Amino acid sequence: MLRPWFSLSDPIWQDFDRLNREMEKIFNENYFSPAGAASSRVPMPAVNIGETSDQVLIYLFAPGLDPKGIDLTVEKNMLTISAGRDTAKELGEEAKVTGYYRKERFSGKFRRVIALPEGLDTSTIGAKYKNGILSISIKKKEEEKTKKIEVKVD
Amino acid sequence: MAKVKGQEMAVKTEGGTPQEQQRLRPVVVTPPVDIYELEDGVVLFADMPGVPKENLDVQVDKNVLTIKGEISDIVPSDISPLYVEFNGKAYERAFTLGPDVDVSKIEATMNAGVLKIFLPKSEEVRPKKIEVTVE
Repeated sequence: MLRPWFSLSDPIWQDFDRLNREMEKIFNENYFSPAGAASSRVPMPAVNIGETSDQVLIYLFAPGLDPKGIDLTVEKNMLTISAGRDTAKELGEEAKVTGYYRKERFSGKFRRVIALPEGLDTSTIGAKYKNGILSISIKKKEEEKTKKIEVKVD
Repeated sequence: MAKVKGQEMAVKTEGGTPQEQQRLRPVVVTPPVDIYELEDGVVLFADMPGVPKENLDVQVDKNVLTIKGEISDIVPSDISPLYVEFNGKAYERAFTLGPDVDVSKIEATMNAGVLKIFLPKSEEVRPKKIEVTVE
């Protein structure tokens, strides 16, 4: 059973998404015109951000990274993620490459800066890298947490 | 509920035009690939972040190689989105193989969201070194 991972509900984001698709269309049709080439590509690793009652979660879709090479820093409310990969090295030196058919995957370094919402406790940031997704969790400060108020009946 | 390639997907149905609903549906994403030709075969790399090994499906039917992968749920159930760039739920892509591939010896490995498939060339089409003897 599949359920939506997240849904696009912000109109601003929909505009960006549409622009992205338009760009992609132009790029695909006039440049390479490869049949069934990768769609929905973002030049940088894509980021999804969500929140629960007690934390903010950031997911970076960046496959093929060496976890040791991921650099995370927080300064004021700016979270910076930098890492990279070299797809040319994935084959190993002994491979005898005679040509290629497709090169669509990202290779190189990237840096993403994310403005964090206010009210987060940035002293304790959790980060783990699994199956090519970097998951970052930042707890909300005590006073920002959603509180449930019990209604008493007299 | 709408059927998409045999899989059930929870679709947000309230509000919006049919076009909008179509677009808001979690998509099956075409993964970007690199395909290299080697002396002894072809190597394919596909970026499929979020897919664990057990959610991967690699099949060869006649001369068509199909790769499929489902993104495992990693988000807590009570999450609400703040900002979304990627709303894929699964990956799928198909490739037509040339006649030179020995389909019985295809190897697939998955590491950090990158699928690697080695498609060896069949023995008869591999380059052979012919020794020239000088008399």
